[in-house]
Amino acid sequence: MPKVTIDGVEIEVQPGTTVLQAALSRGREVPHYCYHPGLSIAGNCRMCLVEVEKAPKLMIACQTQVADGMVVNTRNERVEQAQSSVMEFLLINHPLDCPICDQAGECRLQEYAVEHGTGVSRHDVGKVAQSKAVDIGPHITLDQERCIQCSRCVRFCNEVTGTGELDFFQRGDRTKIGLYPGKSLDNLYSGNVADICPVGALTVKEFRFATRVWYLKNTPSVCAGCSKGCNVMVAVGRKQELMTSPGQMDDGIKRIVPRVNEDVNGHWICDEGRLSYLKLESAERLPYAQDGDGVELDWEVATLLAVQSMQTAAATGRLGIIASPRATNETLYALKKLVDGIGGARIGTHRNHRGEDDNLLIRADKGANAAGAATILGTEDAVAVTLAARNGELDTLVVMGDSLDPADTIDLHGAAEDVGQLIFVGPFVDVASKAAHLRLPASAWAEEDGTMVNCDGRIQLVRRCHRPRGEGRPGWLVFQDLMRAAGVESSAWSEWGEVYDAMRDDLDAFGGTSSAAIGLLGLSTGTPAAAGA
Amino acid sequence: MYGPEFERRVDALVARYPEPKAAMLMVLWEVQKEKGWIDSESEAWVGKRLGTSPAQVHGVVSFYTMYKQKPMGRHHVQVCTTLSCMLRGSDELMGHLEQKLGIKPGEVTADGKFSLVRVECLGSCGTAPMFQLNDDYHENLTLESVDRLLEGLE
Amino acid sequence: MERVLTRNIHKENSQSIGVYLAGGGYEGLRKAVTSMTPAEVVDAVKKSGLRGRGGAGFPTGLKWSFMPQEKTKKHYLLCNADESEPGTFKDRLLMEQDPHMTLEGCMIGAYAMQADACYIYIRGEFVFGARMLDEAVAEAYAKGYAGKNVCGTGWNCDLVVHRGAGAYICGEETALMTSLEGERGNPRVKPPFPAQFGVWGMPTTINNVETLACVPDIIVRGPEWFAGIGTDERNTGSKLYCLSGHIQRPGVYEAPMGLPLKELINDLGGGMLHPDRPLKACIPGGSSVPVLRAEECDCNLDFDSLAALKTGLGSAGIMVMDTSTCMVKALQRISHFYAHESCGQCTPCREGCGWMERILLRIEEGRGLQQDIDLLKNIADNIEGRTICALGDAAAWPVQSFVTKFRDEFQAHIDEKRCTVQGATYA
Repeated sequence: MPKVTIDGVEIEVQPGTTVLQAALSRGREVPHYCYHPGLSIAGNCRMCLVEVEKAPKLMIACQTQVADGMVVNTRNERVEQAQSSVMEFLLINHPLDCPICDQAGECRLQEYAVEHGTGVSRHDVGKVAQSKAVDIGPHITLDQERCIQCSRCVRFCNEVTGTGELDFFQRGDRTKIGLYPGKSLDNLYSGNVADICPVGALTVKEFRFATRVWYLKNTPSVCAGCSKGCNVMVAVGRKQELMTSPGQMDDGIKRIVPRVNEDVNGHWICDEGRLSYLKLESAERLPYAQDGDGVELDWEVATLLAVQSMQTAAATGRLGIIASPRATNETLYALKKLVDGIGGARIGTHRNHRGEDDNLLIRADKGANAAGAATILGTEDAVAVTLAARNGELDTLVVMGDSLDPADTIDLHGAAEDVGQLIFVGPFVDVASKAAHLRLPASAWAEEDGTMVNCDGRIQLVRRCHRPRGEGRPGWLVFQDLMRAAGVESSAWSEWGEVYDAMRDDLDAFGGTSSAAIGLLGLSTGTPAAAGA
Repeated sequence: MYGPEFERRVDALVARYPEPKAAMLMVLWEVQKEKGWIDSESEAWVGKRLGTSPAQVHGVVSFYTMYKQKPMGRHHVQVCTTLSCMLRGSDELMGHLEQKLGIKPGEVTADGKFSLVRVECLGSCGTAPMFQLNDDYHENLTLESVDRLLEGLE
Repeated sequence: MERVLTRNIHKENSQSIGVYLAGGGYEGLRKAVTSMTPAEVVDAVKKSGLRGRGGAGFPTGLKWSFMPQEKTKKHYLLCNADESEPGTFKDRLLMEQDPHMTLEGCMIGAYAMQADACYIYIRGEFVFGARMLDEAVAEAYAKGYAGKNVCGTGWNCDLVVHRGAGAYICGEETALMTSLEGERGNPRVKPPFPAQFGVWGMPTTINNVETLACVPDIIVRGPEWFAGIGTDERNTGSKLYCLSGHIQRPGVYEAPMGLPLKELINDLGGGMLHPDRPLKACIPGGSSVPVLRAEECDCNLDFDSLAALKTGLGSAGIMVMDTSTCMVKALQRISHFYAHESCGQCTPCREGCGWMERILLRIEEGRGLQQDIDLLKNIADNIEGRTICALGDAAAWPVQSFVTKFRDEFQAHIDEKRCTVQGATYA
């Protein structure tokens, strides 16, 4: 395996590794714009020029493959002079938009200008002007003159989505990114171009002027939009000194961006997942435990009422449960323990399918934890339970609301009239909650820690990113309270890991794993979901 | 949009290459010959025919200077102004044309008869100054010979 | 001096295959394909000392030897007829007046490369030249010199004329390939090199028109004959020189490699255009190579002699400037060319060329600042060697050489806020 010395440090790499990849793999930053690990190599920004001993000219690290015995310097005077000259060239036609540009704080031009630039402009002959704030798609705004022509967005639309909406027009310093007239950047992954754009030329409309990125608190989590479970970073606006805009520190989710996981979503996320927080943040929430007329109930009272109804129905085999495929494993396991403890029930999981699988990340199965639900609760479909209710076979029906999107909660088709008691457990005011006689608020996605199993059998961690709204609490905690109210023997779980490990001890499917071992990239079980597809 | 004869010509061009997209420049020439310029609709048609996106076709059309993105005059005067022609009076020639035609480089006369553009080296430095009128080179120009030439044009 | 490349151009009907054959045409192709192996053809070209006539002067035989010996995929030869280097017009002459010589060279080259097809990429503006080539290709096909079963040997090779559409950068070999593939003419980073991964991912060789036109005679008359013409074994053969600018008889002149520049200007070219305006400067190899001051012009026009003077033979486009030339304006015009032609892919060229042009414009217009001269040189230095292709260097060298060798003129423009060249006029 070839060995290369980078800045005096010798490392061994796989054949075919480039100097840039070698350096980055050892945490040695070489500044670059156009290179992106998820895209082909372009080699056009020239920022990564490094000195390779015995080569007459500086060479681009992104494209130069390591040869055995190669000696590379990335930090000497010659390289630094080249870097500062490339910075100078990039800035001569770049508009001074920092004060109004969303990219500020995570902009490579800013960062490299500070680290590698000269700090002084020698250019005073007039900048090439282009169009600003051009609406190019449902989610993307283009500022042509901020563009540094790195070509990442063009490569993305050609290589990842295959949709080719973007290309360069004209040539020389009049080159600009554009759309074919009349077309729109409307592929289902358009938001990714804003992530990969190193500057503020491509920005997400929904995030435009929302907040400054340094006010964001980032939590690594997993998207609950579909069964793919793309890894994400959820950013919440947090309170800061000197903050003047209340909207910025309201603890709300400001954006979701993909987190790299080569085994799940690579570098990307679909637009629906990226923007799923919008529904979450705007949906009406159940503020407190309440009865069917919306009258607030004391939590103890509410849980007691619920459990009494459930136990009575269970005694005669007339209890039905409809579980949400977006609930965490911990919530579903606690539900199972509750049901087992009070004498059993007909349990079905809501099947939330929409559209088709595509050849990238989107899955028709929108149940982010459909695989977990199948493993823990079995494969009965909610439709069977609803039918039982309609047929008069049930006295009490418990329905779990969707934890991400109120529109995805099961429509009971009037089954509420056919049962004596409809109990709702969930975060939102939705179709099912409105029909319920008793409503218990639970937390939504991004408000509780827990695990989910994706369509490939991978166990992944969803994280609590901000406080639950109202009196919402994790689903497993609701069900634990119900167990206590029912007098069912239960453990005193106080955090998700305890629930997970109890589940692991109980169910073979999770055997050999542990909550402590799951980690940021999840745990593969090697068993793709068999859940009623 | 294009008749069967045109499509036959395009098919013949595509057949010359191992991949259809390689016929791009030649097909765009056919479009320009047919329509006089290359509009968005044509770009979409070409993209479909050659298996690429309309944006990429537009990227090509806007890259190469000879493709017209808007209608130009019946007599398209392309004056070379690079070094050797400059040394032999291209600037004066251009000034003369601007005055005679009443338009600046990049413009079309109101009656659509003439358009004037400045172009880079046409590979005719030995017969400078010169211009290309539509497809034809007119070399060793003088102000008088230019006047005579323009007068004779319909 | 014997006319080699230009021996047919004055004949009546010189473009027709009949005239070409009557003059011994296609003998080289016939000899190569019926009695030599591809490797032997490559060897002959190597021995001839032929160097590329497109601008880089790379040894042709060596370039040919980079192609895979064992053929496992399609091979391609591309003929670079994109001639757009300012000051250059020799390929045009060959294609318009004697297209078959180019075609024969292409076919011999294609044979040596074991090519399946040869595409001639001709610049879009050469409409007449493309037509002459089209007609000649049809004649060649009809007589079995191209297409199926070339010269009855069973070797098939297509010959295709492909028109560009106005982009100097497409004369760069990797940009030529990208353009041929139907895309924007963006050069590619190397490695990979064309001989390994070229057009459509296949092994490819790209050669200039004049280079290929030299090949038939090398085969017929032998590499030693070719190597015997010219300065020495590294600067061989008969050469076409393009003379333009302030000269009595501008045009293409054929002479052995190593023709003295002064002989070209004073004898062949008939001397300076105006008797009272002596030579001031000369660019010997197309606008990309460094300029020579008049006192540096006692030199020979070959690759190594000019390289020793820190300039180059390039495309042999000799541009002559007399004392009426404002060097600031000349440089501005040259810089405008590169800014206009830059493909825009890589940062230093895309931004730097426009920047240099705008600074030169203000100096020319009398608004130059004291720091501009050193700034220009610094920008050029920051472009040179840092780009994907040689256009960056080509834009940098004129700036470096002009402001160094004619600094006083630039300084005067800045100090006096006007053009200070006496009698600066352009006619």
